[in-house]
Order: sequence, then C-alpha cells, then structure tokens
Amino acid sequence: MKGKNMKKTVVITALLALVLASSQAFAADGAALVKSNKCDSCHKMTGPAVKTLKEIEARKAPDLFYAGSKFNKDWLVKFLQNPSQIRPAGTVYTNFLKKGEQDTVAEPPKCASKLDAGGAAAVADYLMTLKDASMKTGVAKLGEFSKAKAKMLIIKTEACNGCHRIEGNGGVSCPTFEGIGARLNPDFVYNFVQHPQQFDPKIWMAKRELAENDLQLIVNYIASLK
Amino acid sequence: MKKASLIKMAAFLAASFAIQLSGAKAALAETAEANYALYCVQCHGSAGTGKGINAPYLAVAPRNHTSDKDMSSLTDDGIALAIKEGGAAVSKSTQMPAWKSVLTDAEIKDLVAHLRKMCKCSFKKP
Ligand code: HEC
Ligand code: HEC
Ligand code: HEC
Repeated sequence: MKGKNMKKTVVITALLALVLASSQAFAADGAALVKSNKCDSCHKMTGPAVKTLKEIEARKAPDLFYAGSKFNKDWLVKFLQNPSQIRPAGTVYTNFLKKGEQDTVAEPPKCASKLDAGGAAAVADYLMTLKDASMKTGVAKLGEFSKAKAKMLIIKTEACNGCHRIEGNGGVSCPTFEGIGARLNPDFVYNFVQHPQQFDPKIWMAKRELAENDLQLIVNYIASLK
Repeated sequence: MKKASLIKMAAFLAASFAIQLSGAKAALAETAEANYALYCVQCHGSAGTGKGINAPYLAVAPRNHTSDKDMSSLTDDGIALAIKEGGAAVSKSTQMPAWKSVLTDAEIKDLVAHLRKMCKCSFKKP
C-alpha cells in the first residue's frame, strides 16, 4: 500500500470508529434516559411477554422489549418528542370501556414521553438495540401491488377493519392503521400478522391462515399507509 | 390414635391434595368469564347483546348472545366450531374470527357453557 492511500485508510478507519463509538455512546445515553424518565413504570422493557389475562389487564402501555424489531427509527424520534394517539380505546380497551346499551370508550391517555430532540434521538437509538432474536427478517417483499386487491382482502375477506381503523373508518379496540406504514418495520408486520401470539400470547387479535401472496399484499398495503 | 381420626386425617389429606391439583389447573386455563371479557366483548359487547365498541363498524352485526331466539337454533358443536375456526367454518361471516390460536379446546368448551347461561336457553340438539 502506498503512503498516501495508507493515510487515507487510517483516516477513514478512525472516522468510522468515531461514528460507531458515538452511536454506541448515544445508545448508552438512551438507556440512562429511559431509566431517569421512568419509561418502565408504564412499559415492560424486558421480556418475556406476559401469559395471563390478569397481567394483560394490568398492562398500562405497550411492551417495548422488542422495540428494535417493531418500529422504524425515524418514527420513534418524532413520536418520543410529541406522542400521538395510536390506540383509540387505550392500550387494553377493557380498562377504558364505558358499558352501556351500546358500549363506548372513555378518552384514553397518550404516551407520557416528552423528550427533546437530542434525548429522543438517543432513546430511539437505544430502543433500536432491543431486538426479538426469533423474528424472521428480510421476509417482507415490498414492490408494486394492487391497492384494490389489498383493500378487498383487508376489508371484505379478512375484515381487519372490524378492529383496526382504516382511512377514518373501522373498529377501535386496537392500533389504528393511520400512519402505520411510517411507524412499523415491514418485517414486523409480516411476522405479527402471520402469528400475533408469537409476540404476545394473550393478544386479542386472532391468528389467520394466510397464503404467502396474500400476506405480502397486506404487508405492502400497510407499508403504504404513511 | 383412634381408627376414626386416622380416617379423618386421610380424608383431609386427600381433600387438600385435590385442592392443590385443581389450583394448578386453574393457573393454566382462564375462566370463560375472563376470556369472554377480553376476546368477545370488543364486538359482542359487555352485555353480550352484540353492541361492542367495534360493532358499529362491522358489516354484519355480531350475534346477540342473550337472545333465546338467535341462540337456541345453534348446536353446542356448531358454536364450538364457530369459536374455534371462525364464522366461515359455519357458513357465517368472516367478521367472526377463529380463536384457536388463543383459546384451548377446554376453554372453548367452557365458553359454550357460558353462552348457554347468557341466553338462558338450551341449544339445539344435533
Ligand atoms: C404514564 C405512562 C407512560 C410513560 C411514563 C411512558 N409511556 Fe410510552 N406509552 C404510554 C401509553 C399509554 C402508550 C400507548 C399510546 C397509544 O397507543 O395511543 C405509549 C406508547 C409508546 C410507544 C409506542 C408503542 C406502540 O407499540 O405503539 C413508544 C415507543 C413509547 N410509548 C415510548 C416511551 C418511552 C421511551 C418512554 C420514556 C421516555 C415512555 N414511553 C414513557 C404510556 C407511557
Ligand atoms: C379482533 C380484533 C382484530 C382483528 C380482526 C385484527 N386485528 Fe390486528 N391487532 C389487534 C390487536 C389487539 C393488536 C395488538 C394491539 C397492541 O399491540 O396494542 C393488533 C395488532 C396488529 C398489528 C401490529 C400493529 C401495532 O401497531 O402493533 C398489525 C400490523 C395488525 N394488527 C394487522 C392486522 C391485519 C392485517 C388484520 C386482518 C388480517 C388484523 N390485524 C385484524 C386486533 C385485531
Ligand atoms: C371482530 C368482531 C368479533 C369478535 C372479536 C368476536 N365475534 Fe363472534 N361474531 C361476530 C360476528 C360479526 C358474528 C355474526 C356472524 C354472522 O351472523 O354471519 C358473530 C357470531 C358469533 C356466534 C354465532 C355463530 C353462528 O353460527 O351463528 C357465536 C357463537 C360467537 N360469535 C361467539 C363469539 C365468541 C365466544 C367470541 C370471543 C371468543 C367472539 N364471538 C368474538 C363478530 C365477532
């Protein structure tokens, strides 16, 4: 290797090391912020998932111990500074139920995170390190798809809108599909829709037997809802 | 020790063993009431009348589980099948999901008995 090239390599390696080290430092800051902000007073930050209905009822906020497999990082950075409402009937709808001739729901709380831009970036970096090692990755095949066919499947055949809100219409007992494409990693969507109980054994979304191409159609449609 | 008190003691031991056994079983399966409250109330409603929080958005109205008229035409096995494999399995709407991924056969059997209590009716004999 010539002297000049050598120098270049050294400089690049040093820069790379610096970038790596600083993002790791960021993740460490993030872990400290999660602790000092008491995110774990509402969110479960370590696995495994709960296995009884009693524990589900006691759940205050969604599990975050597989956040790195579930979310898109850019979405996290924005959300943690200014949380939006994702679940119209709260994390566990039974806790916000107003029983009546026609059941309705009380206004549920939003996430309490109020991080500044730097803090949100650090916490997002940390959350992205919390992976579900058993989740299949590289499975979502995004590309051209028929939106009409996807809607037919989601609204008519599988009736996902019975529980999920889609384009301003649909059920309220679980997360809205509004902006879901920006929020979720397509590989997570693939894995979750294929078998919801693999993440959360007592979750109130039933598993469906879906053909691979129907599953990909759903994943593509959901990814397009930004 | 007298024979009678020995028998009493044996009976006591057997009874406490049985209690322990049934306690262990209860820890594994959920009650029909608890399962209904989480999985079914979202559509069928807290009163079981089909007026859950999702019901206004469903194309087909969820069955009124308290209606003698609606429920007595169904068989035990038909109801168990609808819960396990979903509406499509009994030629009804796919908006009724298949619950076999969260409920065991024993829990489904308990739910059928629970539904019978809710409609205060007997289901059709097969
Ligand atoms: C007082 C309780 C509370 C605290 C403290 C709290 N959160 Fe939340 N968080 C919630 C609730 C409730 C939701 C669900 C909101 C919704 O679905 O509309 C939520 C949602 C979230 C989500 C989205 C989860 C999903 O699956 O959609 C993330 C990410 C999150 N919180 C991160 C954090 C972080 C990081 C902290 C600490 C800085 C934090 N939260 C502190 C209650 C809390
Ligand atoms: C019986 C109600 C119900 C039906 C029907 C239903 N879901 Fe769900 N879904 C849920 C619940 C409950 C969750 C988990 C909520 C949570 O994590 O807070 C969920 C979560 C999801 C998630 C992960 C979203 C997230 O924000 O965490 C996706 C993706 C999803 N569902 C897609 C679908 C698709 C596609 C269909 C139709 C094939 C469908 N769902 C039908 C209840 C339902
Ligand atoms: C996503 C909404 C939804 C959920 C959740 C749901 N159901 Fe249903 N259910 C329906 C709808 C809609 C029908 C009516 C189907 C029809 O008439 O075509 C129905 C019908 C039924 C029937 C009548 C079946 C028949 O043969 O006529 C039974 C029994 C039933 N549900 C039990 C349950 C039980 C038990 C649960 C909870 C484990 C449950 N359902 C959860 C929507 C739901």
